[in-house]
Amino acid sequence: MEPRICCENIREAIEKLPMLSPNVSRLLQVMSDEDYELDDIVNIVKYDAVLTAKVLKTVNSPVFGLLNPVTSLDRAISYLGKWMVVSIILSDNTGDLFSQPLEGYEGQQNALWRHDLFAAFSCSEVARLAKQNFETELAFTAGLLHDIGKFVFAPFWKQAAPEALKRIAEGSIADYLAAERALAGMDHAQIGYEMAKHWEFPQPLQQAILYHHTPQNAPEEYRALAFAAHIGDMCAMMAGCDTGNDGMQYPLDDGYAEYFDVTSNSLAQILIEAEAQFKKAISSLSFEEEVD
Amino acid sequence: MSDIILGIGDYGASKSPGSIVKTYALGSCVAVTMYDPGLRVAGMVHIALPESKLNPAKGVDCPGYFADLGVPLLFEEMVRMGCQRKGRGLVVKMLGGASVMAGNDTFNIGKRNILAVKKILWSLGMGPTAEDVGANHSRTVSLYVDTGLVTVSCPGRGQWQI
Repeated sequence: MEPRICCENIREAIEKLPMLSPNVSRLLQVMSDEDYELDDIVNIVKYDAVLTAKVLKTVNSPVFGLLNPVTSLDRAISYLGKWMVVSIILSDNTGDLFSQPLEGYEGQQNALWRHDLFAAFSCSEVARLAKQNFETELAFTAGLLHDIGKFVFAPFWKQAAPEALKRIAEGSIADYLAAERALAGMDHAQIGYEMAKHWEFPQPLQQAILYHHTPQNAPEEYRALAFAAHIGDMCAMMAGCDTGNDGMQYPLDDGYAEYFDVTSNSLAQILIEAEAQFKKAISSLSFEEEVD
Repeated sequence: MSDIILGIGDYGASKSPGSIVKTYALGSCVAVTMYDPGLRVAGMVHIALPESKLNPAKGVDCPGYFADLGVPLLFEEMVRMGCQRKGRGLVVKMLGGASVMAGNDTFNIGKRNILAVKKILWSLGMGPTAEDVGANHSRTVSLYVDTGLVTVSCPGRGQWQI
């Protein structure tokens, strides 16, 4: 089948992406270091007045129900926890990467942020169930960044998406990822990987983004992280936090069982815990709770 | 007009003329709708998991999250708003319970939710008169108080009614 979308145009759009803020680059580098500490994250925030204000505003939001306002950054960060602070830094320093409506996917404003945030909390829960040594710290960030490719791809995908849905429904294309490859010549995971290279993300994150739908194909050293992102992605879709017309249109790779002890009971606990943290994050970070 | 928007684990009922009871983006979750055409009372619950024994604390905190607690609570709410305790005349529908593609049994929470909801409805002496369940897509569900009409929508698939 001849692709309908020119890959060169997509690559050009990636090349034109502005560089990420130094805060984000530092955060991702810090988190990919096995020995990083909370203080390293505090140091990123405290030299940025806007970020500091946002962290304090978040901790003092009604969601946390504090009797006395928190005015110290150290206390705020220890109260919020590092995942919430990572979410604040990424959401505040990536322009409209996560908030822009995803045209081709018919995703509403903030759909990508909601999806990625739910996936991220799910990933960090999945990480707790690792069967062997696993770098759990990156799981949350991998979940938060796994679908960034949709940001660049969505405007191009608009012209082909109806055809993709039609072909999946009639069974001539197996799933959404295959439809993207057939109709665009590349899929959102590959595009996300190109973006991650452009932005010089640490290697484990690049690989998790590339293989989040095909984790079995990831190089062995990154395979567990790719599976964590894969399961987190599935959990977000199951919870109704999808990015639009591709919701639940991807196959599950059950090779996860080699790396994570996910049973029907532990999966239920993952969903309960991720939903609780997601709700808190969405409310305190002042995003709209409902879409449509 | 006061619409009721339900999040995951929420339940509620309305008899305000012109209003709707709505929930967004059911993935593997299941929505049960109840409607009394005589009284024009409309209710819905958004269920995420089959049984509260999976996490009793969550069951206390948010009973509507689980089929075994949420469905009876919705029925109680309908009774509180004037519907007959025996459930006569109530139109019950169920929607959602989608699955990820080629999912194994572990991930088939949608199917477990559907079965759990049917089981608890039967124990209450009720059954769904219509259902739009399973498959691999999300559903946004609206129940109209004036008519009892249930509409379903999904990005890329338009809107339909059951």
